[in-house]
Amino acid sequence: MSWTPGDEMLVVQRASPPGAAGGTYRAFGETLRGLKTTMSRLVEGPKTISYPEEKVPVYPRFRGRHRLHRFEDTGLEKCVGCSLCAAACPADCIRVVAAENTPENRVSAGERYAAVYEINLARCIFCGYCEVACPFDAITMGHDYEMSAYNRTDLIFTKEMLLDEPLERTPLRGEGE
Amino acid sequence: MSTDVTRPASEYRRMEESITMAPLEPVETGDDVNHELLTLNMGPHHPATHGVLRLLITLEGEIVRDLKPIIGYVHTGIEKTAEDKSYWKAIPVVERMDYLAYFFNAYAFCGATETLLEVEVPPRAQYLRVIHLELNRIMSHLVWLGTSALDLGAMSMFWYCFRDRELILDLFEQSTGQRMHTRYIQVGGVAEDIPRGWASKLKQFTDQMPSRVDQYKDLLANNEIVLQRLRGVCPLAEEELLKLGVTGPLLRATGNPWDLRKATPYCSYDHFDFKIPVGTEGDNWDRFAVRVAEIYESVKIIEQAMDGLPEGAWMTDDRKVALPPRHELATSMEALIHHFKLVTEGFRVPPGEVYFPIESPRGELACFVRSDGSSKPARVHMRDPSFVNLQATAPMTEGSYIADLIATLAMLDPVLGGIDR
Repeated sequence: MSWTPGDEMLVVQRASPPGAAGGTYRAFGETLRGLKTTMSRLVEGPKTISYPEEKVPVYPRFRGRHRLHRFEDTGLEKCVGCSLCAAACPADCIRVVAAENTPENRVSAGERYAAVYEINLARCIFCGYCEVACPFDAITMGHDYEMSAYNRTDLIFTKEMLLDEPLERTPLRGEGE
Repeated sequence: MSTDVTRPASEYRRMEESITMAPLEPVETGDDVNHELLTLNMGPHHPATHGVLRLLITLEGEIVRDLKPIIGYVHTGIEKTAEDKSYWKAIPVVERMDYLAYFFNAYAFCGATETLLEVEVPPRAQYLRVIHLELNRIMSHLVWLGTSALDLGAMSMFWYCFRDRELILDLFEQSTGQRMHTRYIQVGGVAEDIPRGWASKLKQFTDQMPSRVDQYKDLLANNEIVLQRLRGVCPLAEEELLKLGVTGPLLRATGNPWDLRKATPYCSYDHFDFKIPVGTEGDNWDRFAVRVAEIYESVKIIEQAMDGLPEGAWMTDDRKVALPPRHELATSMEALIHHFKLVTEGFRVPPGEVYFPIESPRGELACFVRSDGSSKPARVHMRDPSFVNLQATAPMTEGSYIADLIATLAMLDPVLGGIDR
């Protein structure tokens, strides 16, 4: 491929080897100039945050632990067990087993409901494709990110755990903040 | 269960054990001192190898006589995994190869797929891609600068660079929802438009970034210790690098202005005015200076792209590829059928193969995709720049001090996630 850069090149400049006086200046003067960068940080104050006492609020688009949702008026689950989230998952971490709603046992608004809904958070890569795939907004990515456990089996979240409100709310900031 | 200790060595183990160092004769120095060669195993768990890289080094005193990189410790089989996923689902998977250049991985794959599909990407999506790619480039260079300076003993640089990197990750979180592995770039455009308030935050960042880099240059570029460690250390001629296929800042440090953003403009990079920093001698100092100069150029590109950000769609309106808008799902049956079809089976890609190269922070990152006409790629291969550049370690460092090997490895900027894939 032939291509001439013309004036689009920018040669990084290197200083010529200094003489005795220049070398002395470079050894001391440039070190002092570098120290200016270090010292000005003193005025700036610390940038660290004392997690877990202080938490950085997350943005509205942040994709944390999944949440399943209910209709607010009827209390019925939004999920109809269509398994589209499981089909969309690149990590294959969602398992849905659907069952029929009956008049005695009405769980969701549709014909069917999710009898089993499990997410293996040890496999989840938090890409949010389940949220994109869900046609009923039944599953969304919540804002919780503290999900560590002592046991791998504790990381398999069942439907009840995903429907419940999280124990501790993650601080959230507005869109423009 | 008992493990059989007498079990014969596996094929891989045999292969690994068969790696031998070239027989080297000690140099005749004439004096009576007995010269002896020492084989040193550096890594895979070593802070200066920037990941799980293992180096077998033959030393003569402090001089490196031979060096063999051994890789594969974070091999994840991502290329093979991608063959089993539809194109849409493969994006977050391939994104996880080079963990400092996730936008580049995703764009290389999406660009290759778009070329096969012949999909037109709307201008707003192209500009948003450029902004995120260049932010990612700055982020990657900041990690490189911080960790490399740490290898040279400048501890505070590490904190300064990671503080600035945090600003970029914050911007990523706001616009894409995740700090790393964002799956923002999709086939046909980007996943979402930028949120309200993002532009002003980006402006703040681009305003302060050049002065921050000035400070870092004050601290490092003329510091006597850094100069002693970098200047004239481990140069390699342009022809040698070209023979090995080395690209990116390593090649540009020798004065060859090969940058795919200029040479074969993609993603409307030809709309922006920027320069290619090149070095003169190709030593470690040039490698350092070229990357630092690239941060300024990336800031310039972001500013231009943000000023000229076109209005309009951020996703192609080709319903064969793009998911229908969410509000249509509740009203249109056709949209719902399309949605189900795209999510479960995915779009079909016409048969053919394509090699799609882009300029990643480390050099030419390319994605090769072969399609057999189904909705899953028949073969995905990434040409990762770190993998190719790593070959240059041995010719660069032969005959140099082992301390210079550390500096050279830092200036090489290998990312093992990309090397092993």
